[in-house]
Amino acid sequence: MNEGMGESLSALMDDEANELELERVLAQVSQDPELRRSWIRYNVAQQAVQGSQIACLDWDISERVKSSLEVLSATAREPAGIGFRQRMLRPFVSLAVAASVAATVVIGGQQLALIGSDDPYDYGRSLATNASPVGMLNSLGATTVQASYGMQAMPILEPATSKAYQELALQRHRKYMQEHAEQAALNAPQGLIPFARVPQIQE
Amino acid sequence: MTSLSSVSKKLFSYLLWAVFSVSTVAGVKAASCPDDDAVALSWLDKMSRSLRQANYHGVVTLQRDGDMQVMQVSHIVGDGSSLERLVELTGRGAQVERLSHPLDCIHPGDRLLRGEALLSEKSCGIATHYRFAVTPGERVAGREVIRIVIEPRDMYRFGYVVDLDEETGIMLKTQTIGHGHKILETMQFANIVYSDNLPEFSPADVIHKAQHLDHQSASTPYPVTRAWSIGWLPLGFAATDPSTGTSERRTYTDGFAVFSVFLEELNVEVRAGEGLVKRGGTTSYTRGMRIDEQPVLVTVIGEVPVNTARMVADSLDWLP
Repeated sequence: MNEGMGESLSALMDDEANELELERVLAQVSQDPELRRSWIRYNVAQQAVQGSQIACLDWDISERVKSSLEVLSATAREPAGIGFRQRMLRPFVSLAVAASVAATVVIGGQQLALIGSDDPYDYGRSLATNASPVGMLNSLGATTVQASYGMQAMPILEPATSKAYQELALQRHRKYMQEHAEQAALNAPQGLIPFARVPQIQE
Repeated sequence: MTSLSSVSKKLFSYLLWAVFSVSTVAGVKAASCPDDDAVALSWLDKMSRSLRQANYHGVVTLQRDGDMQVMQVSHIVGDGSSLERLVELTGRGAQVERLSHPLDCIHPGDRLLRGEALLSEKSCGIATHYRFAVTPGERVAGREVIRIVIEPRDMYRFGYVVDLDEETGIMLKTQTIGHGHKILETMQFANIVYSDNLPEFSPADVIHKAQHLDHQSASTPYPVTRAWSIGWLPLGFAATDPSTGTSERRTYTDGFAVFSVFLEELNVEVRAGEGLVKRGGTTSYTRGMRIDEQPVLVTVIGEVPVNTARMVADSLDWLP
C-alpha cells in the first residue's frame, strides 16, 4: 500500500474522502491485501470506538425479554380473588422485575404482557382471523374494534405498546436476519450478498 | 445521430441474440407472452446461469439508508461444484463462505428465473408478475451492460433496475425500487475480474460457513409444538425448501424477492400489536396475536413491502 492510498483510506475513514478517492480505494482494494487488511482493521477499531457492538447483546436481550415476560405472566395468573393490598403491590412487583433488565427492553416487556386476562374486545382473535385491509398501518394491526354502546370503555392503545413492539421487531430482525440471508443467498440472484444485510454475522 | 444509430444497433443485436437464445430456454414461454418479455427473460436466464457458473471476484458496494457497506466477493467453479466467499471490508470484517455447492443443485429462485414451471399457474412464469423493459445501460465497473427495468404487476413486490454484464450476463448493479419510484437499495460492483485465481484473504475473526439444505433453524425463545401453515401468499411465490410441520421457519421466493416467516408459540399472553423495521429494501415485521386462542409472535422478514408481510402474517393458522 503506497502512501497516497493510505491517505485516501484515512480520509475515507474520517468521512472526508471525495468521490475520486473513494473510487481509487475501491478499485485498488481487491488487488492489495495490505490495503484490505488496513481497511478492515480501521473499521473494526472505528466500530469499537463508536460502541456499535449492540448486536452482541441480541441473544441476551431476547432472553431478558423472555424472562421478563414470564415473570409478568406468572403475576398475571394469580387467583382472581386476590386482595386489595396485593393488587396495590403488583405494580411494585413489576417494577422489581423491571429493575433487572435494560430500561427500554423492560418497557417493552411490561407493555407486551397482559397483566390480568381482561381482553374485552378479543383483539387477538380478530387479529388472527381477519385479513387487514391493504395499505393500512397502525399499531393495532389494522383490526376493527367492535362498538360498545357505552357499556364498556373503549380500549385505548398506549403509545408505549407500539414502542415495545418496535423494540421487539428490532430484536427479531437481528435474530432472524442471518437465517433469512441463508435462504436468500441460495434463491436471489445476488450470490452471498444477502449476508451483507445481516446486522452482525455470527459463526 | 451517431449515438442514436449506435443505440439502435445495440438494441437490434439484443433482439437478434434473444431470438436465438429464447428458443433454447426450457420452460413456460406461452405464445401470448409479450415479445419484449421474451428478450428480458432470456437475459435473466443467462444471468441466473452465469451467477452460479462463472469465475469472478470483485469489490461490491451496498448502499441503503445513506450508509455504504463494502465487501469483496469471489466465485470459483471446479470439479462440478462452486466455491463462494464474501469478506466484509466495512464493519467487523466477517467472512462468509460456501465451500462446495454442487453445480447441478438448482434452487427454486434460479429455477423461476430460468422459466421453469414450479407453480401450477398457467402463465408466462415471472413475466406474469413483473413487466420488463430492456435498454442499453451505462458502463458499470468498466464493463458494458444492458439494463432491464423490472416493474411489478401488483403491489406485493418491489421493482428493480438491473444492469447485466453484456458479455457474461453477471449482474453488476441492481437497484431495488419501492413505492413512488424510490430507490431503496443499490448494490453494485466497483470492480470485477473474471479469473479462476482466488484472491488472497487474511484469516477473519468471524468465519461463517453458509449452509445448504440440511441446516438447522435458529433456536427460538418460544419453540413451535403444533403444525402450522400460511393461508395466503402473493401469486408467483414458491417455497425455497421443504420446511413444513412444526419447523419455525418458512421461506418463499418469486425469483427476485425472498421472504421468510418465523413463528414463535408463546407461553405468555401478549397485547396484540405490531412492530416494523425497514433497512433499505428489507422489511422486518413482527406481530403479536392469537391463533385459535394460542398467543404467538410472527415475524416476516424479506425484500417485500410491509403490506405483503402483514397479509402473510394475517393468514397463519394451525393445521388440524
